[in-house]
Amino acid sequence: MRKRPDLYTNYKSESSIFSTTTQKIWFVVLILVSLFSPFYLSNYWMLLLTTSLLIAIASWGLNIVSGMAGQINLAHGVFVGVGTYTSAVLGGVETSSVIGFELDMILWLPISGAAAALVGILFSPVSARLKGLNLGLVTLAIVFIGAHFFSNLKFITGGAGLGRKAAKLKFLGVDLDSGIVLGNLILEKNDVIYYFSLILCILLGIGAKNLTRSKIGRAFSAIRDRDIAAEALGINLFKYKMYAFALSSFYGGIAGSILFIISGGIEPGTFNLLYSITFIAIVIIGGVGTVLGPLFGAFFFTMLPGIIQVILHAVGVADSGFFLNAGEIERIVFGFFIIFFLVFEPRGIWGIWFRIRNYFKAWPFSY
Amino acid sequence: MTIFLQATFEGLSLGAVYSLVAIGLVLVYKATDVLSFAHPALVVVGAGIISALAVDRGVPFWLALIIGIAATGMIGLIVERTFLRPMVGEPVFSVAILTIGIDILLRTILNNWIGLNPRYLGDPFPSFGNFGSLEVNGITLKYLELAALFTSIIIIYFLTLFFKKSKYGVAMMATSYDQEAALAQGINVGRIFGLVWLIAGILGGFAGFFITGGFNTLTQTSFISALRALPAVVIGGLDSIPGAVVGSLIIGLTQGYVAYYQINIENIVGFSLGSGFSLIAPYLIMFFILLIRPDGLFGREEVERV
Repeated sequence: MRKRPDLYTNYKSESSIFSTTTQKIWFVVLILVSLFSPFYLSNYWMLLLTTSLLIAIASWGLNIVSGMAGQINLAHGVFVGVGTYTSAVLGGVETSSVIGFELDMILWLPISGAAAALVGILFSPVSARLKGLNLGLVTLAIVFIGAHFFSNLKFITGGAGLGRKAAKLKFLGVDLDSGIVLGNLILEKNDVIYYFSLILCILLGIGAKNLTRSKIGRAFSAIRDRDIAAEALGINLFKYKMYAFALSSFYGGIAGSILFIISGGIEPGTFNLLYSITFIAIVIIGGVGTVLGPLFGAFFFTMLPGIIQVILHAVGVADSGFFLNAGEIERIVFGFFIIFFLVFEPRGIWGIWFRIRNYFKAWPFSY
Repeated sequence: MTIFLQATFEGLSLGAVYSLVAIGLVLVYKATDVLSFAHPALVVVGAGIISALAVDRGVPFWLALIIGIAATGMIGLIVERTFLRPMVGEPVFSVAILTIGIDILLRTILNNWIGLNPRYLGDPFPSFGNFGSLEVNGITLKYLELAALFTSIIIIYFLTLFFKKSKYGVAMMATSYDQEAALAQGINVGRIFGLVWLIAGILGGFAGFFITGGFNTLTQTSFISALRALPAVVIGGLDSIPGAVVGSLIIGLTQGYVAYYQINIENIVGFSLGSGFSLIAPYLIMFFILLIRPDGLFGREEVERV
């Protein structure tokens, strides 16, 4: 029984979060390793790790709407941006050009998610009426309309090319911007952000997994597989598409609210078309419709610049006359991977991992 | 009145250019079921080739223009043969995302070549008359815009002839109605796919020149202009060629009028719409038209069976 990875004897075991004890053990090990990673990883890797976790949260959001509910959304970056600016306004410092309220993180974190979700809900009359490519093209319009708002609402965003500072890190009245000292432990600001991201990532990851097991998740997959059939089964399309966009934007908003604290500043030009496409690519490269997939994709995407640097140094063309610079190579590799995975492995990195895992689990049998 | 005519003229000219891109998109979508997000990239790559030949290599401009347009068609053909062939029959959404990948590839290489400074295409249009424009009753008509308008009309006329009279045009129409029936009639559907991309690429090459020619120049953000053909296609309906033309004209005119009347509109609504509002007005129009008619103005309503 243990050796048959695809065999489930009852529905409960198939839909459980961790179907085997091994997975539970791995999960606990992974969390322990992540909890202690600030103590043995360098600052650079910690930054990458934090970014990966936050990007993973945002990608889960896109995965809910596109992977689970099957609605194309090319504008996920805009929802991330809404979360970012909500947190920047509520938690940021007021200057002569931008507004800011310096509120506590416990307030701005959920409000950022809620604000992004609200934008998603506002969009639902359109998303409910359209489907397929037309929906994709309308979300493309949102990218440009969003970019217009971001660069013109100068009292919120600071305007194009200038930008503003991100939110201050203040949790339950404790100012964390210069780090915190707990007994013998000295945590820097980046470590604090890391722990917040890790906790959010675990909570929202389990949330995303649970969503697939719930009534809403089943409704989503029914809509994805055949919306007319889903409607005939009594699923309210309008309601569930609204849920999908609201949940998706909520994840995006939460991720966005913290994402830019790492670098400290936000420039409205960040939330362009490429930024939104990045999330689509992450979900596709990672694995559409799975929970682990976007996590893989996010790590892959964040680590890619580092990997490319290493390869460039190894080949010896890092700073000499290669006609593309590192950023461009990164984008080309990225574009190439989108094509590669769509053509050869539509299930993404998750699919590769799944096959390898099953191969060793079932070894020496091939079934 | 002068301003109105000026805006109308510029809008029509813009619309004509968009319609070239839009027709290419609709052709590809109708024949191969691919919505190509890579099309704006093709358009600017065409302009890039023209500029590289005419300015950097010193090739006579008109020859460079012809080579550039033909090369754009060839790139379209190559993209179809290499990347899209393996995806025939896959979900429309996957293929659309794949074209985003192609778009990233093409534009990254092009942007590397463009660099930070705007590139001229080396065309003689800016040197005609009063900085490339002539004045009729106080309306400034740019030669480039006139050329765009007339070229587009001629191209659309010949395309219509092509679809009605020529063997391949009819075969293309047949393919777009029903691929299997077309195959059964002995039509080489694979060749039609290639041909459609070739035509779309050539149209894109023309559009690329008109979008970036003269003082418009080719920059890293030029593709956003070409991208505005997408709302045009959606307004007209994804599978209608007349719709693509009408949609493009609506988009072009909207952009033209908003550019000239933004202050008046702001006075009416009572708040500032922000700089560059004319560039996103097409998207807003698309939003509202889709709310009323989800399949676009001329699009065929899809009959779905469970």
